[in-house]
Amino acid sequence: MFEAQAAEGVAHEAGGLPNPMHQFEIERIIPLKIFGFDASFTNSALFMVIAATLITLFTLYAMRNRSMVPSRIQSVAEVSYEFVASMVRDNVGTDGMKYFPFVFTLFMFVLVLNMLGMVPYSFTVTSHIIVTFALAAFIFLGVTLIGFIKHGVKFLKFFVPEGVPFVMLPLLVVIEVISYLTRPISLSVRLFANMMAGHTMLKVFGAFVVALGFLGGWAALGFMVAFTGLEILVAFLQAYVFAILTCIYLNDALHMHH
Amino acid sequence: MGEALKLATEMIAGVGVGGFIGWALDRLFGTAPILMVVFLILGSAAGILNVIRNAQRRQAAAGPLPGKDLPPDDDDD
Repeated sequence: MFEAQAAEGVAHEAGGLPNPMHQFEIERIIPLKIFGFDASFTNSALFMVIAATLITLFTLYAMRNRSMVPSRIQSVAEVSYEFVASMVRDNVGTDGMKYFPFVFTLFMFVLVLNMLGMVPYSFTVTSHIIVTFALAAFIFLGVTLIGFIKHGVKFLKFFVPEGVPFVMLPLLVVIEVISYLTRPISLSVRLFANMMAGHTMLKVFGAFVVALGFLGGWAALGFMVAFTGLEILVAFLQAYVFAILTCIYLNDALHMHH
Repeated sequence: MGEALKLATEMIAGVGVGGFIGWALDRLFGTAPILMVVFLILGSAAGILNVIRNAQRRQAAAGPLPGKDLPPDDDDD
């Protein structure tokens, strides 16, 4: 049985178990080169398009009636709106509400990408660090720009801690700047690491189910069921963390306190 | 996985970014490896600063610790 497994699939390695990293492979669907850059339409891009389409269709369809007494699907759209709106209001304040469309888009995009990844045979876009890092770097640059536009040169005060002896200042300012620069890294690594670790675990235990056979496989299968539930929670939680950290960074830029 | 991983990421990100800045400056000025060593240490400090801030934010959100509302203990020496 073991040998038969190993012989048939492309995804199988010499060890006889399926390769758990195969799910993360990027495949070019429409090869494309622009000015020498590989800008192919990949499975990753495909799932981003699916996510964007799903979000647009969902919000448009849910809000088509705009009734005072919401239908079930309209309630879902309203709950997601309220959820993000209260998150922005609590963490940034009412003057931060003009950034609500951005935070809402970000939250829904990451959430739907994470949830799409839970569908069997699908591709998890957020399990690639370059995707999460691009998102985080965009947020980081945008927030820094907002800070400088709002406060001008005074925004640099953000890097000067209060109540510190003058001699220590040069050292502490450098530490503060490095600490500020770690934001996009920790923001992107958190999302990427959670998604990749979870999906790898799922595939490894999925292989155990087959490898342990009819007698032993049930234990691994039970674990898989429980772990899939946990993964759905993580998918939601990481989208939430991503959005709430964006709010906290926005708050720092707008109101300048740690 | 969530909370511990988050703090660990903050710490590693500090060291990583510090090391990268030092390495880049070394390449720029040709002073290898002095600046990288200096910035690795500064980066570690930044990482610890991140962890402390994060933990403080968590603690503030979680409310006072159990026992904090008790009157101060007199007989500790």
